[in-house]
Amino acid sequence: MKWWLYIAFKQLFPTGKIMSFFAGVSVLGVALGVLGLYGTQSVMNGFHEQIGIKLRDTSGDVIIRNGGRAIRGGKEIVEKLKAMPGVDKVEECGKGPVMMLFENVPSFPMLRSYDTVSDECAIPIKEKGFVKMGDIDSLDDSSIILGMRFAGARGIGVGDFVEIYSPTLLDKIRADEVPMPVRLEVVGLLNTDFSDVDSNVALVSLRRFRELYNLGDMSHEIVVRLKNGDGASAFANFLNGDFLKGRMGAYTWLSSNENFLRVIKTEKVMMSLIILLIIIVASFSICVSLYTSVLRKTREIGLVAAMGGRGWQIAMTYCVQGFLIGVCGSALGLVLTRLILDFRDSIVDFILGRETLTEFYFFTRLPVKYDLYDAVSACVFATVLCTLAGLFPAWRASRLKASEAMRNE
Amino acid sequence: MNEVVLEARLVKKSFRSPDGSEIGVLRGANLSMKKGSSVSLTGESGAGKTTFLNILAGMESATSGEVLWNGKSITGLSNSAQAKLRGKFMGFVFQNYCLIPELNAVQNVELASRIAGKFDSEAMKRARELLSSVGLKNRMGHLPSQLSGGEKQRVAIARALVNLPSVVLADEPTGNLDENTARGVMDMLLRLCSDTGASLLLITHNPDFAARTDVKVRLSNGLAEEI
Repeated sequence: MKWWLYIAFKQLFPTGKIMSFFAGVSVLGVALGVLGLYGTQSVMNGFHEQIGIKLRDTSGDVIIRNGGRAIRGGKEIVEKLKAMPGVDKVEECGKGPVMMLFENVPSFPMLRSYDTVSDECAIPIKEKGFVKMGDIDSLDDSSIILGMRFAGARGIGVGDFVEIYSPTLLDKIRADEVPMPVRLEVVGLLNTDFSDVDSNVALVSLRRFRELYNLGDMSHEIVVRLKNGDGASAFANFLNGDFLKGRMGAYTWLSSNENFLRVIKTEKVMMSLIILLIIIVASFSICVSLYTSVLRKTREIGLVAAMGGRGWQIAMTYCVQGFLIGVCGSALGLVLTRLILDFRDSIVDFILGRETLTEFYFFTRLPVKYDLYDAVSACVFATVLCTLAGLFPAWRASRLKASEAMRNE
Repeated sequence: MNEVVLEARLVKKSFRSPDGSEIGVLRGANLSMKKGSSVSLTGESGAGKTTFLNILAGMESATSGEVLWNGKSITGLSNSAQAKLRGKFMGFVFQNYCLIPELNAVQNVELASRIAGKFDSEAMKRARELLSSVGLKNRMGHLPSQLSGGEKQRVAIARALVNLPSVVLADEPTGNLDENTARGVMDMLLRLCSDTGASLLLITHNPDFAARTDVKVRLSNGLAEEI
């Protein structure tokens, strides 16, 4: 081992000790920075991934809309789409707000249709068991399934009856008719673990929905689920080409929620930049500590120079220390990140409470997704900064003249 | 035996004071050390003894004059080249021991071999033998903080000799030691230099120690004269 590497190791890990105090504090500082950076990025990745899954699960892969108007001839389009390779499920779908009365208290859920005749649903309600406390197969033209959080907030349970007033009742009022609500029995509660859906959505049969909205055999949109969700963009592009020929538009779940997902990505970038500052501050601290070490060890530097050590070799002693602190700190930071995030449920419960997490975010559990690129980039950044932190002390040490250094008090 | 290992010819050194005036420290000092000999360098405080030693060691540049190691001039060499040669050619013993606190006794001795690029099993063996010969056989694993002043200086002596240098430069090696310990250290230094064939340049204020060397040189008014 080169002597300057040996001295660097020994100054960080002296004989008879595990680690010097300076090394320990510096490594911990860097580790906390990497923990903050990689941990935050992993949580944000988790948010992005889980929200993506939730969005895909609750809205389908590709949605065909007619620019705000109802779609005619949807059945033929559905048959053509079903015949295409890569398509798993296709359904005609209605979506729209309604007023709901329960014990004279109004609320305004978003109603969504479910085709009880074909039992085709582009949303994996059955596969993922989204309906709790009830059964999707119980849904018919006289029943309704409510989002679990929506029902819970209003004290509605399975077996209760609710009254639905659709916006088209206004037409009846204009025609001097008496607008009568539709009375539906609650036969199940929907729990997708996606608060946006569970707090707002109610399911009715497609036939009932068409009746409420006077759609006849039309629908608001056609929802497609693909066998491979990653091909959604390509499939939408294909539909927007020769298939739909500009008559209607095909949108992916990504493009439909582009702003929302972009916000999450922007949050990740901004939080990463802020946390990078922690690592930069840690590296300044390392620079100062190493510089202080140069001042304290001036005579030793003079001794080493007297014994034949050259300027660049003396400089390397300090550069290597910065590098080693960066490497050790990064490694410890990665370990701490995995450790803390593995126990994140307990930590979140203690700090925030699970209800707060569900209330303000969409999940019952803090999502995490580890990305190798994030881990590597956090470690590389920390190590490079720490190495650079050693440069100024290294330069200072290399400039010391042996004769002057030996006279140092 | 007559080969000259270290020589200074008309070495002058002056420093510039803050007011811009020149302070002449050495005014043409000459020195010649033969192989295997010991030379003491005495003089008043501020006479320039340490400065002269630094110039001889290539750690400081002379204003004019020439320094030769084994007959070859080092005056025109770069700092880097001088440092490289110094590691192989010279050993040092300083007044304040200058041990690396993070290394134990044997590691401090071995460090000189590492820096000189000569660290091998032979060097490791020699380090242990030297520490044994200075009476520190049972203290090899001790850190400098666990050693007394005399013990630290003995480690420094072992370190100075581990590379089998041609010359050992000792700048007041007993300055921080009590009388008895100083005597013991001095005995050890002279004996080991003699045993290894290294020439010794000793800066000292102690006339008794100076008297024990082969050649006595006094630095006065910037000139070195043999007494």
